[in-house]
Amino acid sequence: MSAARQLSLEVNGKRHNLQLDIRTTLLDALREHADLPGTKKGCDQGQCGACTVHVDGERVLSCLTLAAQVEGRQVTTIEGLQTADGVMHAVQTAFIEHDAFQCGYCTPGQIMSAIACIREGHAGTDDDIREYMSGNICRCGAYPHIVAAVRDAASRLKTERAL
Amino acid sequence: MRPFDYLRAQDTAAAIAEAGKPETKFLAGGITLLDLMKLNVERPARVVDITRLSGLDTIEVSADVIRIGALAKMSKVADHAGVREAAPVLSESLWRAASAQLRNMASIGGNLMQRTRCTYFRDPGAYSNCNKRNPGSGCAAIEGINRNHAVLGTSDACIAIYPGDFAVSLVAFDADVLVRGTVARRIPIDEFYLLPGQTPHLEHPLSPGEMIVGIEIPRSAALKRSHYLKVRDRASYEFAAASAAVGIEMEADGRTIRDVRIAVGGVATKPWRLRAVEASLKGKTLDESTLRAAAAAAVEGAKSSGHNAFKIALVPKVVARALMTVGDIS
Amino acid sequence: MTQNNAFELNRRTVMKLGVGAAAAATAGVNLSSEKALANNPAKSQSPALGARLSRAEGPLKVSGQARYAIEQKLENMAYGVTVQSTRPAGRIVSIDTSAAKALPGVVDVYTPQNALKLNKPTVYSKGGGATEEFTPLQDDVIRFNGMHIALVVAETFEQAMEAASLLKVEYEAGDAIVDFNDPKAKSQPIDAMAAAWGDAATALANAEVKVDVTYTTSREYNVPMEPHACIASWDNGKMTVWEPSQWVGGARRVVSDWLGIDIEDVRVISPYVGGGFGSKIGAHPHVGLACAASRKLGRPVKVSLTRPQTFTGLGGRPATRQNLSIGATKEGKIVSIVHESWNETAIDELHVEACNNVTKIMYATPNLSSRLNVVPVHTVQPGWKRAPGENPSAYALECAIDELAYALEMDPITLRLANWADIDPSSKLPWTTRQLREAYAAGADAIGWWKRNPKPRSMREGRELIGFGMASGAYPMLRTASEAKIVFHVSGQIEVLSGGTDIGTGTYTILAQTAADVLGVPAETVAVRLGDTILPRSALAGGSQQANNLTGAVDRAAKNARAALLSLAATDPKSPLAASKVTELTLENGRVRPTRRPSGGISIADLLKAVGRNTLEVEGNTFAPGASEEMKNGADRSFAQMKASLEGGVSAHSWCAQFVEVRVDEDFGTIRVKRMVAAFDSGRIFNPKLAESQWIGGMIMGLGQTLLEEGHVDQRDGRTVNANFADYAVPVNADVPGVQVISVGIPDFQASALGGKGVGEIGVVGVAPAIGNAVFHATGKRVRSLPITLEKLA
Repeated sequence: MSAARQLSLEVNGKRHNLQLDIRTTLLDALREHADLPGTKKGCDQGQCGACTVHVDGERVLSCLTLAAQVEGRQVTTIEGLQTADGVMHAVQTAFIEHDAFQCGYCTPGQIMSAIACIREGHAGTDDDIREYMSGNICRCGAYPHIVAAVRDAASRLKTERAL
Repeated sequence: MRPFDYLRAQDTAAAIAEAGKPETKFLAGGITLLDLMKLNVERPARVVDITRLSGLDTIEVSADVIRIGALAKMSKVADHAGVREAAPVLSESLWRAASAQLRNMASIGGNLMQRTRCTYFRDPGAYSNCNKRNPGSGCAAIEGINRNHAVLGTSDACIAIYPGDFAVSLVAFDADVLVRGTVARRIPIDEFYLLPGQTPHLEHPLSPGEMIVGIEIPRSAALKRSHYLKVRDRASYEFAAASAAVGIEMEADGRTIRDVRIAVGGVATKPWRLRAVEASLKGKTLDESTLRAAAAAAVEGAKSSGHNAFKIALVPKVVARALMTVGDIS
Repeated sequence: MTQNNAFELNRRTVMKLGVGAAAAATAGVNLSSEKALANNPAKSQSPALGARLSRAEGPLKVSGQARYAIEQKLENMAYGVTVQSTRPAGRIVSIDTSAAKALPGVVDVYTPQNALKLNKPTVYSKGGGATEEFTPLQDDVIRFNGMHIALVVAETFEQAMEAASLLKVEYEAGDAIVDFNDPKAKSQPIDAMAAAWGDAATALANAEVKVDVTYTTSREYNVPMEPHACIASWDNGKMTVWEPSQWVGGARRVVSDWLGIDIEDVRVISPYVGGGFGSKIGAHPHVGLACAASRKLGRPVKVSLTRPQTFTGLGGRPATRQNLSIGATKEGKIVSIVHESWNETAIDELHVEACNNVTKIMYATPNLSSRLNVVPVHTVQPGWKRAPGENPSAYALECAIDELAYALEMDPITLRLANWADIDPSSKLPWTTRQLREAYAAGADAIGWWKRNPKPRSMREGRELIGFGMASGAYPMLRTASEAKIVFHVSGQIEVLSGGTDIGTGTYTILAQTAADVLGVPAETVAVRLGDTILPRSALAGGSQQANNLTGAVDRAAKNARAALLSLAATDPKSPLAASKVTELTLENGRVRPTRRPSGGISIADLLKAVGRNTLEVEGNTFAPGASEEMKNGADRSFAQMKASLEGGVSAHSWCAQFVEVRVDEDFGTIRVKRMVAAFDSGRIFNPKLAESQWIGGMIMGLGQTLLEEGHVDQRDGRTVNANFADYAVPVNADVPGVQVISVGIPDFQASALGGKGVGEIGVVGVAPAIGNAVFHATGKRVRSLPITLEKLA
């Protein structure tokens, strides 16, 4: 029963062929097997948002997703946001400018969540941002700066699209 | 987590056939199942991944019914323009639940199957006494920390709360659960959730292999004028301390209640319809004192286990305020 | 440790300001600063210290490139999972490990019957670095529910977790004292921390107006987002531990205690720390298990506590109770304060929550009596959570002062000013700086304090009751002498080295700023390496002292480095400036030049090249001249050299005034904080952008403490049943309103070398009473226990 299984995952546009115990979550596959520890483990039970990644462009929790479930799907992690020549995503830049983190441990999850929040159209008002970013706990208490960063990035991305 | 065989179902018939085998579970969003597997509450030998079945994620709003496929994501239903227009309560009870990430993962069918958050149920390593996990073993919660346990629909065997939001709306508005097994059938939502009684391990009237394929909610004037009020300690990403799904339809005079629907969540062992309160309000004039007086009956038969006594006081206020909101009483 | 690992470590810990994350992460020590200097032609620099620079390690953190402790990649690593007791007391009769050991991939299972040898570590109060004496697996005694009783090691995490669930533990029941309300609990006075002057009892009895109240706080948990976890790697008689640590020197000492090996054979590495708030000062017992298992197995072992295990694998703030009586004249002059507090501690260990730290210094009172007590119960040894002592102290005091203000029908700020302490009433020493009046004024102005109707339950909007509340607080200055090193590389790179850690506080950034000002280079060109016991000795990142400790040490090192460079330029025969006198040379914009020539000179890199050196390393420290190695080690791996707030015949503290506006639903009793405003006196601010973040973070942690956070202890078995992020609710984004912070501090050179005072802890002091007072103003109901949940307002 349940011998290790060969899984082929596409993460950040790159194929990873991994020999995994079928019980392996996407989170552990990334951190322990694919050498992509940017995605963080904060609770491992769907209660903190630190492990947020995108699967087919939607934000999900990788701790409650089996690695096997994302075969054939596109996984994007924090390591995959920059362009090939190192240009950061507007949300990453805004997080630095607004000091939207301290210890940095929840930050990859916050950023993946924020990008999706903007894309979903849930970043229209500060209250919307607060509600739709509430799935990402920050114990350092960077919330006001996270809201500012998301607001700022959303408006920059809107301007960029308009140009 | 116990090792398991992982099977990816290619079509519904195959999924149902596989799931009929012993110790087998459907895996959709994984939020309840994987969580409980990590806690060793669920220890299936086989897991059937149904997330790639086609045709089960549709959302249709027709003239008389809203039909939602079992694999539609909570987030998609919550943001669906037709649902928001025809049934605000459905959208609200979805987006006020969990977090954006979880709603992107969670399927509607899986959400209906969400299990209790009773901390004793979720801690098998420390508490073998749980009638839901081990029938006949007792209940650790009744004498334990029970702030988030039920005051309605309890038994001396179990006080575990039904924690969800969406099903509370469905119960208020008479939805049907569409199920497929060896035959296709339709289960009224109120009957889909079983009271614990002496058998708290039995939560749904489903046979092995039966799969939820969708839900249907009849459209009504009350559904269009509806609201979900969720009261909790934290402003978001938390289960309800108490909640109410309500809808109202007025007579032509604009003052008299023709139809009213009320169900409450976060306080009962199942989504809790308040038919007696509804009956007492029909034909009455819509005003604050009438609503508050009627809502007082919402907790008839409620039983405190200690820490959860506050819920008994809270429920009538939540019901009244939800109705005041849909009734435009500021 | 392999050379590759050492390289990897260097690569990851070298910081560069303002460059792309990928470049910074890969370029490391070899990154040249020459290019950066070329882009910054000579111009007069405004001082870097005090500038609102962005976080130096920001690019690495926002791109997932910052590798935290357990994210190191090591060959042949095994995974360890601890198993915790489910009983509060008694003993272990046996643990059946057969089912676990039969599983594929299980390497071994360690229990008291098959123990890993660990020595008892020396705790900080006895001169060591440990925060608890508890040493797992060394006996069969159960001390609390949730105590480590076994370690399962397997090839994969999944195998270890499953095996851990299969242990069958047989317990012999024991009598448990579950919490400090247990009738069996016995309190013990801590006489050394009592305070008394005048005749408090008599003065209270004769006072015209009195408040006599009891305030309680619940068990709280630090729960930083990064769970406590480590990798231990035993190699050839030496132990390397990657451990998220607020204090690598202390952790090193504890590891050497546990293993009985020379401290020189232990290295602790902590480049990034995913939050600590006091809980990562000590290396906790699971680290000992990881080290011992690695030594036994001869391979690296990673041990991560699960999120639920972080509630009992180490302790948070203990529950506290305070009886407080304040007597005053009708005019509002305080005549007496009588105070007594109790806090829980482990059944056989001592943790004192110094609940009178603020009580005894805030107001001028001619009479005061304060006694502290601990109550041993079957709990994990409690620990430090942000502003230990000061936080609950200010909670009771500042609520009671509000109660007194209402009893006197006085404005709470007016009452506070009427009892202004010109000197420290406890020590009778003068304050260094105390910008508290300025804080009251700034905060009151910003929140609109004087526009409120002070009458309770007088303000509302719809069905929401509106409340305003304020409170103040203090946090003492702690200081420990430290050392730092500046390294000039021939490549042009300038490095600052310190063993201190950056737990999200901004250490990487402000140390670059400090060195940059002295060396006359842009802060962006200075790389900072932190968090490693091979680096210069530093005290803990705790007690709000590290920024002041290390800016002081780096300032000295940089001044020494400047002098060394000028001396090299003037004296080395191969130097192009060899003909000059040292006194005639200047270091500016990264170039050494004759002072009288406005430009030209030689770059630091070219100077090193000219004299044939690859590096120039210069140390500096803040120890007294002639300090021994023993003293320097004592500063690094114990609290022996730590100086408290009264050092030097003055009383030094940070101060705050907190203001909040709350909305309380009149039906439900739910409290939402609408606005938070606070004014802080933290002395000179080295980087306002980062300091503000810390203050705000402290305020939000205080919001959680006040409204949400409470460990629920089952009275039957002492188990913390809500040990997770769903049931132990901490604030989420939607709970947090607009937050405004104001700095009212002035440089305080009696407090620290560069004029700063503490920043990290003061933010959480005074929040709970400000909210509690606002809830009273909104509702007319005084809730005297935390958290203030909705049922308490029913």
